[in-house]
Amino acid sequence: MINRRTFLTGSITVTLLGSPLFSALAEKRKKKNLVVISLRGGMDGLSAVPPTDPILEKFRPDILVRKTLPLTSDFSLHPSLKNFHNAWKQGKAAIVHSSNIPYTMRSHFEGQDLMESGGHKPFAEHTGWLGRGMETAGLEGLAIALPMPLILRSKANLDNYFPTKLSTPSPDIMKQVATTYPKDSHLRSTIERVMMRPFSMLSGTGSRKAFRLASTAAKALSKSDGPRVAVFDINGFDTHAAQGGSNGEHADKLYNLDKIFGQLRENLGSTFENTLIVTLTEFGRKVEQNGGNGTEHGYGTAILMMGGLIKKAQVYADWPGLKLRNMFEGQDLNATIDARSIYCSAMATVFDTDFQKLNRHVFWNDPLENLQDKLFGI
Amino acid sequence: MKKNFFRKVGFGIGPDELVPDDPVSWAQNQVNKVPPLIWDNRIRSGEEMLNHYAEWVYTDREILRKKHKENRHAYREAKNKLRYKVGQKYFENLEICIRQNTVLKSKSPVFERLWLFWCNHFAIIDKDAMPQFTTGPYHRETIRTNMCGSFETLLKEATLGWSMIHNLDNSESIGPQSEWGKNRRKRGKLATVNENHARELLELHTVSPAAKYTQQDVVQLSYIMAGWEHRHTKKRKECNPVRFNYKKHEPGNHKVLGKTYKQRGLSPKNKLFDVLKDLAIHPETRRFISYKLCRHFLTDNPTEDMIAPIVSAWEQSDGNLPTIHKALLKVVYDYADKEVKFQNPEVWMLQMVHMVGGNWPLQADEMKYNFKIKPNNHQRKPRFFMKEIGYEPYRPIQPNGYSDIESDWISPELLIRRMSAPKEIAQRRITLKNFGQMIDKNFDNAEEIKYLIKDIKSPSTKMQLIFPSYRMLKT
Repeated sequence: MINRRTFLTGSITVTLLGSPLFSALAEKRKKKNLVVISLRGGMDGLSAVPPTDPILEKFRPDILVRKTLPLTSDFSLHPSLKNFHNAWKQGKAAIVHSSNIPYTMRSHFEGQDLMESGGHKPFAEHTGWLGRGMETAGLEGLAIALPMPLILRSKANLDNYFPTKLSTPSPDIMKQVATTYPKDSHLRSTIERVMMRPFSMLSGTGSRKAFRLASTAAKALSKSDGPRVAVFDINGFDTHAAQGGSNGEHADKLYNLDKIFGQLRENLGSTFENTLIVTLTEFGRKVEQNGGNGTEHGYGTAILMMGGLIKKAQVYADWPGLKLRNMFEGQDLNATIDARSIYCSAMATVFDTDFQKLNRHVFWNDPLENLQDKLFGI
Repeated sequence: MKKNFFRKVGFGIGPDELVPDDPVSWAQNQVNKVPPLIWDNRIRSGEEMLNHYAEWVYTDREILRKKHKENRHAYREAKNKLRYKVGQKYFENLEICIRQNTVLKSKSPVFERLWLFWCNHFAIIDKDAMPQFTTGPYHRETIRTNMCGSFETLLKEATLGWSMIHNLDNSESIGPQSEWGKNRRKRGKLATVNENHARELLELHTVSPAAKYTQQDVVQLSYIMAGWEHRHTKKRKECNPVRFNYKKHEPGNHKVLGKTYKQRGLSPKNKLFDVLKDLAIHPETRRFISYKLCRHFLTDNPTEDMIAPIVSAWEQSDGNLPTIHKALLKVVYDYADKEVKFQNPEVWMLQMVHMVGGNWPLQADEMKYNFKIKPNNHQRKPRFFMKEIGYEPYRPIQPNGYSDIESDWISPELLIRRMSAPKEIAQRRITLKNFGQMIDKNFDNAEEIKYLIKDIKSPSTKMQLIFPSYRMLKT
């Protein structure tokens, strides 16, 4: 299916011989892409997509986002998210608000583990929801990172890419080294994957700036025999201090995210129409600001979605409001939609795979809601 | 003989070293006292480095930004000049050299491995200019010097060190009922605590979530910690020593993990000392850290039997670190032939350098710097190389530090780096002449390794075959 060779050499096309992941069915279908952007640290949904509720100013006098971009009568958008807003105006972007993974304990490490594994108990799963979903659908993907993120791990042993400036190991050396790794070990399957790459790809150099990698990934995704899934990581959303409103730490992070949105859109070209981009984070942040013009770990947050597979521009939410009695533990925006319903629906749409089947294989048949009709156009 | 033991707890046996007859005593004798840092030049103190940090942030934020606010180009140029003047691109490279030179030339490699473990346990993440100026000194002065006393002392020093206070935002904490808190509210401003430090103190540094603390415990501990700050001044920004500011401290008694902490004597600062004392001897702390030690040195999945002797040494010695370390070393030796452990990129790279007598890291004469121009490519190599292999000692991205789990270190790209790195080390000259001898000294299954390099002439190729191979990655 995926052909990493095409991805970097541009000219050589070789089918992965005997790849267990090759699916004849998959090839007949129109190629659709899924991009997941992990916003690490706990992204503040109330700053990215603030509700039009005067009570927010009481809680956040020093970090209220002003000069927001208009969305609906109830919500607006952080001014850093210009590319996202352009897509919104064309009906190619949407938001799910007051949502989160079912995790309320406010720890980054547990939360990030769960947002990637999709499980219930921290550190209990060793595979990720996206990896399991791709395994179920018989697909391969690509992580733009040096280590392999948990979210993509699965039996299907996926690929990653990150430019290096070190010298290249020769194929002979790799072959020899590979013989020392036990058959069926993680090391062995990983080195076999490396050996399938063309020589030229091993010394791939290039910029490691996130938005550059985004354009690399988008170009790969736009190829008809390229990978279908890409995963990004952005750090630094843990804005305990100097979060700021329209300017400041959080604004800068959202600007970086928006730059990635822009690069993806530009370099996906017409493939953008068959692509779905979704964000992921471990939790939102408390409604009330803290003494250092920042915010503490919270619960409910917003999920940003963009791409041609979006049904319409909308803020989809079962909005709990910001009255004290409606807040989670009296301090957080509540989460009324299990974020995993969105991710399962997104996978069902992009992978052309039955929602229930995915839910069974990926999320243990948890009571998730199929939101395909509501959020995504098929 | 369990020769992998010398890699499990050290860096293997180097070209000029003999295989110790009694591995357990060899290892245990190394953890009684703190060995000296090894560097052929003056080592700057943490205090001095904080001054460089202060000059960097103050000059940039208060002078350059204002002076050049209309001209981005001029600003960038001025900022680069400042970078070189304060060593912003230099010191992190220098610190990596001091760290790795010390570790590689130490008479007590086992102590050094434990040092790397504790630096990662009390991890300082990549934040602000900390990797460039202060995290190296924190590892040298706060962690290293406290490794031969009690865990309680190490915990206290790490918790109240400038690096941790800044890293986990404790200076932002204002007790709602404190003097400052009340004043702020009068002016219509908010005053709350920042829970970051309190939460990590429980979750990562001591009892772990196994102790089943609640959100209330975290908030109450934040109240106790409120007031411990680095003062923020115009001239030095955050770069001031840590102090206790009772005007930000939440008055009253606070209950953490079922126990109430009250003010004793005149200052409420003792409340935190009392909590730290209790956390240091909490049964879940002993368990959690014993587990982590086993997980780092022995296996991804430590069993009860492995942890038990370490927990018991902890109990009997009242948290005396050398005693705990000795119990660990015994356990590692006992299981050395049954368990293999995937080595993280830095430890693996240092083992390679040690075993072949590699000319790494750069030495003091190569690291001489005039603070006028950008450090040369050569001098920026330490950071570059560590970044390439995926382990930057002063830049973990999360407060739980770098992972100890195999699956976090295996990916196609990371594996390519393990195959590329040996050539880099070989290119900088090695002293090892006889690979056969090195293999005999370091591997129980020597023939298997020798077979891998049979008919190979070039030392570089030999290294490229041996070091990414299974027995080196998993020791």
